[in-house]
Amino acid sequence: MKRFLVATVALLFAQGAAAEDMRLAVTTSFDSSGLAEVLLPAIKADLDIDLRLLVVGTGQALKLGEAGDVDAVLVHSKAAEEAFVAAGHGTHRREIMYNDFVVIGPATDVAGIRDGSSAADALARIAAVQAPFVSRGDDSGTHKAELAIWTSAGLAADGFGPWYQSVGAGMGAALNTAAGLDAYIFADRASWLNFGNKGNLALLYSGDPALFNQYAFLPVNPAKNANIRNDLAMKLEDWLTSPRASDLINGYEINGEALFVFNAVAQ
Amino acid sequence: MSAKFPLTLHQVLVRRQGKTVIGPLNLKLETDGVTIIVGPNGSGKTTLLRVMHGIERINGGTVSWAQDDPSKHAFVFQSPVVLRRSVAENLAYPLRLLKVPDAEVKAAVAQWLARIGLSGKAQTAATRLSGGERQKLAIARALIRKPDVLFLDEPCANLDGHATREIEAILKESATAGTRLVMATHDMGQARRLAQDLVFMLNGRIHESGKAEPIFVAPKTKELAAFLMGDIVV
Repeated sequence: MKRFLVATVALLFAQGAAAEDMRLAVTTSFDSSGLAEVLLPAIKADLDIDLRLLVVGTGQALKLGEAGDVDAVLVHSKAAEEAFVAAGHGTHRREIMYNDFVVIGPATDVAGIRDGSSAADALARIAAVQAPFVSRGDDSGTHKAELAIWTSAGLAADGFGPWYQSVGAGMGAALNTAAGLDAYIFADRASWLNFGNKGNLALLYSGDPALFNQYAFLPVNPAKNANIRNDLAMKLEDWLTSPRASDLINGYEINGEALFVFNAVAQ
Repeated sequence: MSAKFPLTLHQVLVRRQGKTVIGPLNLKLETDGVTIIVGPNGSGKTTLLRVMHGIERINGGTVSWAQDDPSKHAFVFQSPVVLRRSVAENLAYPLRLLKVPDAEVKAAVAQWLARIGLSGKAQTAATRLSGGERQKLAIARALIRKPDVLFLDEPCANLDGHATREIEAILKESATAGTRLVMATHDMGQARRLAQDLVFMLNGRIHESGKAEPIFVAPKTKELAAFLMGDIVV
């Protein structure tokens, strides 16, 4: 049975800090990757900004920006981001880094997706045998990307049976659920590499250009309310696109594998 | 009563920057009650809570729920974020995410505003609340969507006695109503008032755990005995 229970609110208020200078809504996949633990101390040291993260899916992050609850967002869903800027909620969109989505599943691979000819074919194979599949189901960038692949396979997730579990949760919690169920799951590579509770799961499919995953930074329009710290958002953007950030992002590895590739363009 | 328990942690290990933060540790939390996690500063209480909630990545071991539904977890942090909206809109926010009908949202918000004594500040900007009021708001915002389990990290740190008493009353009511509570605190008085089960953390390990009452009466380890006496334990 498909469920739409929104759990990411449990993560929303998840980051504590003694002082609050700036609020940034980030995706759970970014938080799950562990990169924040590398970047935040450097941001504090270089800019003296206490950055408070609100960890949510991309959809919620953009809504928080729209409401003026945060000063900027760092998310990964280009179409939704461009709509956010076009509607006047954000001043602009700046690409920072990328990685890719992957399909995880039980090492036994009952659906045979290792031999998939494309990402769409891999998901279609899962649907064909109705193997257990865990979906983020939270309007996140990862969720949107997963739905797009189902669509490209000519399938609609809305009509799936009980094998398709929509958990309405962040990346880490959804991976935990998949590990508990020996289920397939669509995830970002960084979260997967950084996930320590893998159980019987393995990375089964990757490499399709359709799985490209771009992260972008969007300052919230300061006209929304007087609390918005656009000055800090701009300082942070300058830093996130600097050689210093490039070194930290490109140098962040787990087991010798890079999780993100910096691709900000100097302006 | 929650169906998702027991929660089982098996050989869980968290390492950061080459150092072990917690573990390896084993813990099993059963269905009912209030579990209080105590221990010196830096003993790993917060990390343990975050692991159970699923927001702290682990480097080894497994965390498994009998029936996992992460949408039914909630977490209240020591220093909670309030949205730049009114007190009432902060309370309504999680229900709006769940697409609860407006009439039900309004009724639930009014009920919780009264419960936490903030009815008179419904339209006040939440960022203007005192520390105690913010913490009550954060707890109400977590409980308004009726979670199966609520994790709390030092929710009464830096609060005065009046606010602490109010928050403890809310938590006791919630536990009675069926929400499973798992809370870290450094306040041993609070632990004695609330705990049904006790977990004592020391140097990233679970040093002693079990039913609270017998532990308070006769701790098995000299470290916990010293901690209960208010001594510094390292």
